[in-house]
This record gives sequence, structure tokens and C-alpha cells, in this order.
Amino acid sequence: MIYTIVYGFTIGAILYFISIGLSLTFGTMRVINFAHTLTYTIGVYALITLIALLKGYFALVAGLAILLVIPISYVIERFVIRRLYGESLDYTFIATFAISLIGVDAIKWIWGVNPYPMNDPIGKYLVFSGLSVPIYRIVIVLIAILLFFGLNLFFKKTIVGKIVVASLEDKEGVRCLGINVDKYFSIVFVLGSALAALGGVLYAPISSIHPYMGLSILLLSFAVVIVGGMGNLNGTFFSAFALGMVMAVTARYWSQGAETMVFIVMAIVLIFKPIDI
Amino acid sequence: MLEIKDLNVAYGHARVLHDVSLKVETGQMAFFIGRNGAGKTTLLKTIIGLLKPQKGSITYQGDEISNLSPEELYQRGLRYVAQEKKVFGNLTVRENIEIAAFAAQEPLGQALDKVISLYPKLESFLKTKAGQLSGGQRQILLVGRALVGDPKFLLIDEPTQGLAAIVIGEIEKILSGLKDRVSAVIVEQNLAMVNRLADRVYILKEGKVAREIIDKSEIADTRGLEEYL
Repeated sequence: MIYTIVYGFTIGAILYFISIGLSLTFGTMRVINFAHTLTYTIGVYALITLIALLKGYFALVAGLAILLVIPISYVIERFVIRRLYGESLDYTFIATFAISLIGVDAIKWIWGVNPYPMNDPIGKYLVFSGLSVPIYRIVIVLIAILLFFGLNLFFKKTIVGKIVVASLEDKEGVRCLGINVDKYFSIVFVLGSALAALGGVLYAPISSIHPYMGLSILLLSFAVVIVGGMGNLNGTFFSAFALGMVMAVTARYWSQGAETMVFIVMAIVLIFKPIDI
Repeated sequence: MLEIKDLNVAYGHARVLHDVSLKVETGQMAFFIGRNGAGKTTLLKTIIGLLKPQKGSITYQGDEISNLSPEELYQRGLRYVAQEKKVFGNLTVRENIEIAAFAAQEPLGQALDKVISLYPKLESFLKTKAGQLSGGQRQILLVGRALVGDPKFLLIDEPTQGLAAIVIGEIEKILSGLKDRVSAVIVEQNLAMVNRLADRVYILKEGKVAREIIDKSEIADTRGLEEYL
């Protein structure tokens, strides 16, 4: 059972990294961002490319891979997403899904379709009571917890964070105070994309790397955002870990139903708490 | 100072304002009164740039402003206080003022002093989430937030709606203190307040200006105005 719990926390942490950006972009911009899969996947492919060039130094390479995603996500926001503010959700859905498909094809063209293997960068285990738990998985969970507190500090203590929180509640009110919210939305978008890339680079060593890897995890992340409340940063954190645990426990007894169970939970939440969009 | 000519505004195909024309001179307080759905809020939102007119012009200090954004209008000194007392409820009172100070590039201490001087009781609520304030306190915070920086023209939507008489008195005192310092357009249904503060009154009916009243004795005749509410 301890392995199930560790697996649940790990997948919960990964879901949190990816979901937080989706939650922020929907909460502030009212954009359902399917292009999130692209930044997630590009982060992973940048990682495997750089790691081959730099021969190791996982943390450094992971940081560089995340930095590489930042200009890409800015271009997506500036030239596509920004034109869709205030438009129907259908347009944002179609446009960002198109970006995601174009991105997947570009990845296939550059890196091919074959899965890439990658090893656990730490490769050590924490042994206690006859059990051995991969330290790398514990590190992923700790990073998620640190990120949770870091983001809380960012949104509570910095003026940028406070403006974003105010915009989540009343965008027009912020605009009428003379603040160009688009600038702050760009920051939110890039931050969310960088966190998705962080999720990708941390998940890559313990999952399968292929061009479509972003799509399945994106759907799970949408479930996290819906259960946690769109734009609700703390809700996203707890929802990610709760659904990660749902997946892990279900997988233990019924491996094929692990993802299905997440969407069943989402459906139940929607029945009792429909989203107002 | 502010002049609107033949303004037409629509939501999709539903036209809400029809050929509205009006004028507010420097230092004046103009009040809009009218029934629900008369187009009062739409008119304020159009002046502040949240809605774009189909036709007509809005000039402010001689410049056409109907195509400017709320952010650009803020730089020209226009401030909008929306109805429903929409403070940033998840932020504290202090943080609400901090955002206004940041936007106006005014030191936070100065902005806090300015808002607290309007309503000293607010000082004990600085660390309280603005969403937990009473309706009157929220309204005062909104007006205070709008006064941070260098406002020249206020647009205030229903400042006393749903408030207790004692709070209405506080708000009237604040608005009265602003008279001659800033110009304002205020949507208000409290005719006693209109009577005491208004320099001119525009009665809106079904999206049109039904009457313009600039004569003080006519403004004082609240019974004459009641028929439009």
C-alpha cells in the first residue's frame, strides 16, 4: 500500500504542476488552453536533447529546458491567445487545440515518433521497514509542496500577484484602475507554461516520452482544475493530490480504470457544483 | 469638460441608448436618474470605455474619447466606481488601496492617509478581507480607491443603493466634500441627495434623455422628479 500512496502523491504532484497554469489562464483570461500540452511536451523534448548534449547534470538541464519554453509560450500568448480575450470559449478551444496539433506534428518532424527512454536521475532508494521508495519520487512531491507555498507567497506578497488575484475576481475593476491587465495575463500565461514544462521534465524520467504524451495528461489536468475550482489556486493543489490518490488506489485494484475514475469524480463534482462559464 | 452628442449604444442588436446628448462643466456634479433599464449604467460604462458606441461622440476636455480604453481614460483622470460595491473581495482593504496606489504611482502611505481621511473607521479594517466589509464600508473603500492619484472626473454608479440611512449620510458627506474639487457623473435614485448635491440632473427614460434640469429650484422639486423613478 505504501507504494500506492507514493505513486498517488507523485502523480498528484505532476498533475499540480500542469493544472496550476490551466487554472490561472482560465481564471484570468477565460481561455481553455489546449496549447498547454505543447509547452509540457516541448519541455520534455528540450530536456532529452540537452541532456544528450550536456551529458548529465539533470537539474541544470531541466532548468534550461524550462527556460526554453518561456519564449515559446510568450509567442503563443502574444500572437494567438491575446487575440481571443473576450471571445467565445469555442474559439479559444479551437485555436489552442490547433496550436497543440501543430506542435505535436512539429515534434514528430524534429524528434520522430519513437518513444525515448530515460532513467531516474537520482537512482537511489529510501529504505525503511523492508520497503524501498525511489528518492526521485519523494523529491517530486517536495518540489510540488514548495511550489505551493512559493506560489502562495507570490500571489499574497507581490504586487503582480495581487493584481492577478484582483483580476481573477474583477477584471473590469482592475482595468478601470488604469492597469493594463493584458501585461499581467502574459506573465500568468508564461508562468503557467513554465510550470507545465516543469511537470514535464520531472515526469519524463518515470513515464514514457512520446509526441502525444501531453494530451492524456492534459485531460486529467482539466479534471483537476474543474474539481479544484477554476482559478482557485489552493483548490487546484488539493484537488491534484486527491485525484492523484484516486488514480493510484484505483490502479492498484483495477489498472484499466485509473483514469476513468478521475473523470467519474469530476462528473460527481459537476453534478453538485456546476461551473459557471 | 465632458460632452456627449447623439450617443447610440447597443448590446448586439438590442439598442440601449438612443441619441443621448448631455454636458457636464468643470467642477459640476451631474446626476442621472431613471428607472431600472433606462440605460444609466450603460451610459457610464460607455463613457469609461468598457462599451463602445455605435455612433455619436464623447468629448472630454475637448478631445474625442469614445475610442479610448479604460486604462487610457484613467491616465486622463477619469475614475469609475461600479455598482454592486465590487471591491477586490479576496484582498485586504490595505491591498485594495495598494493596487490603486500602484496604478496611480502614489506612495502607499499617502494613498492610505487619503482613504482613511474620508472615513477614519476604515483604519481598523486595513487587514480585513474587503469582501467581509459591510456594504457601506465597501462603497466607501471604492470611492476612496477612486480618489487615489489625481482624479479629475468621477463616474459613480448607484453609490447608496441598498445602504442604511446612516451610511448614506457618510457617503453624502464624502461626495459633498468633493464638490468643486472634481467633476462627477453620479447615477443615483436618492432624490434627497440629488437635491442637495446636483448641479444638473439628467432623467433617462428608455435609453433617451427625457429631461435635462439645470435650474436649482427645479432640482429641489423632488416630487417633480419622483415620477421618473
